[in-house]
Amino acid sequence: MCKDMSPLELAIQFHGHICPGLLMGVRAAQLAMDQLSLERDRDEDLVAIVETDSCGVDALQAILGCTFGKGNLIFKDYGKAVYTVIDRSSGRALRIAQLRRASGGTAGQRYRELKGRTDLNQAEQEELEQALQDLFEEIMTCPYEELFNWKEVRVDLPPRAHIYNTLTCAGCGEGVMEPRAIKSGDRVLCQPCFEVQKGGNTDV
Amino acid sequence: MCEANVYLLRDGQEQLLMERVDRIIPGEDNTLFMENIFGERKVIKARFRELELVRHRIIVEEIPQPASVRPGELWLEPDTDHGHFHEGEEVRLKLFKGYNMQPQDASLEDVQAFLINSAGRRELQVLLDKGQYWLYPGQEVDGLIQVIVHQPGDPELYAKILVEIGHHHHHHIDPIGLPLEIVPSGYSHARIGEYYEVQLLRNGQPLAGVEIKATYASAGGQEYPRRQKSDDWGRAKFFLSARGHYLFSSTYDGIITTFTLVKGV
Repeated sequence: MCKDMSPLELAIQFHGHICPGLLMGVRAAQLAMDQLSLERDRDEDLVAIVETDSCGVDALQAILGCTFGKGNLIFKDYGKAVYTVIDRSSGRALRIAQLRRASGGTAGQRYRELKGRTDLNQAEQEELEQALQDLFEEIMTCPYEELFNWKEVRVDLPPRAHIYNTLTCAGCGEGVMEPRAIKSGDRVLCQPCFEVQKGGNTDV
Repeated sequence: MCEANVYLLRDGQEQLLMERVDRIIPGEDNTLFMENIFGERKVIKARFRELELVRHRIIVEEIPQPASVRPGELWLEPDTDHGHFHEGEEVRLKLFKGYNMQPQDASLEDVQAFLINSAGRRELQVLLDKGQYWLYPGQEVDGLIQVIVHQPGDPELYAKILVEIGHHHHHHIDPIGLPLEIVPSGYSHARIGEYYEVQLLRNGQPLAGVEIKATYASAGGQEYPRRQKSDDWGRAKFFLSARGHYLFSSTYDGIITTFTLVKGV
């Protein structure tokens, strides 16, 4: 694509499909950008702490540039649709919590019910498509207040991503990041090889 | 045994539809929901024909559905999924006849086509190649071009598409003045997740109170999922919630007109 993409288009392209969870993430990312006057991150000036690993996180990665690979996406496995976005340059941080009632009411419930089934007939497939379209418009056009609670919070700035030495695993010969290598006697092993040595049976 | 077998009557023949059914609930739109003692479920568009309670037989007959594909609309689509063409690139457009973005085999030998760009108007040929009708405007300079196809008859059909050559041509386009024409209220780069307003014109004048329908490539043949009545200025606003191109259609006074909105994502 040779035109600039909108935040929503970036998120859809990154995530692959359109779903209510992704759209919630789009709105959360836009809210963070509005409230903290942010632009997309280039080199870890922004950090996102996410408390879920669901679809919305992909929107934050695509729109804010806080990505798993860059090290400025910190995952806390709390199972909560809560995102804290930190701007290192200003020291400001915004905690955004998705409201329980923001899951689309009856339409959202019906969408999830149909989405969870694999035996939909044509009428139900059309109903699912229609429910998604309705939720799409609702999520993307309603005021932020109907979707989230948010407040500025004080957060200790997490350290920037570190580049570590790579060691060679004595078991498989592959490289392994130094702090993840395990010393076993006089050998240095990666974690999978260490598990195999302990009697496990794993290929990954 | 209290449950029954359900048979579907089709073309005078009974077919076993579901065994050991213990629940049937009529729904909206002539549907019957049925569930059997094994937990299997079905929804079918049908009505009861006969209840043979002693023999534990329920006979239903299918309600004929209106064909989802009806001839009656012309529309154009660009031969690109990129959302626009570039200067110097061959512009290729596909012409379809059918309904609701569902093409049907149809002869389009009697159509006329023309293009309007910054240099004015020129006629275009419609060519048939391997079962597909094509328009080849050729290489165009940077800007917006409009292509219109007209098929006389009853109903009289018009199709219109706005194609962007290059980037960032976000400006108003003057209507052509067709007998029935859908135009973008103010052309800008249409994006998913935003509202898009179109205007319905009758010989260049706003047409109020007439339905404008919208569908999109990914609707899968679902009958025009978006519909609005034009306001006093002939305008109607649609939220773009689907990927791909949108097709707007309106019918008035024996004329069916369509407008294809080309979208990249």
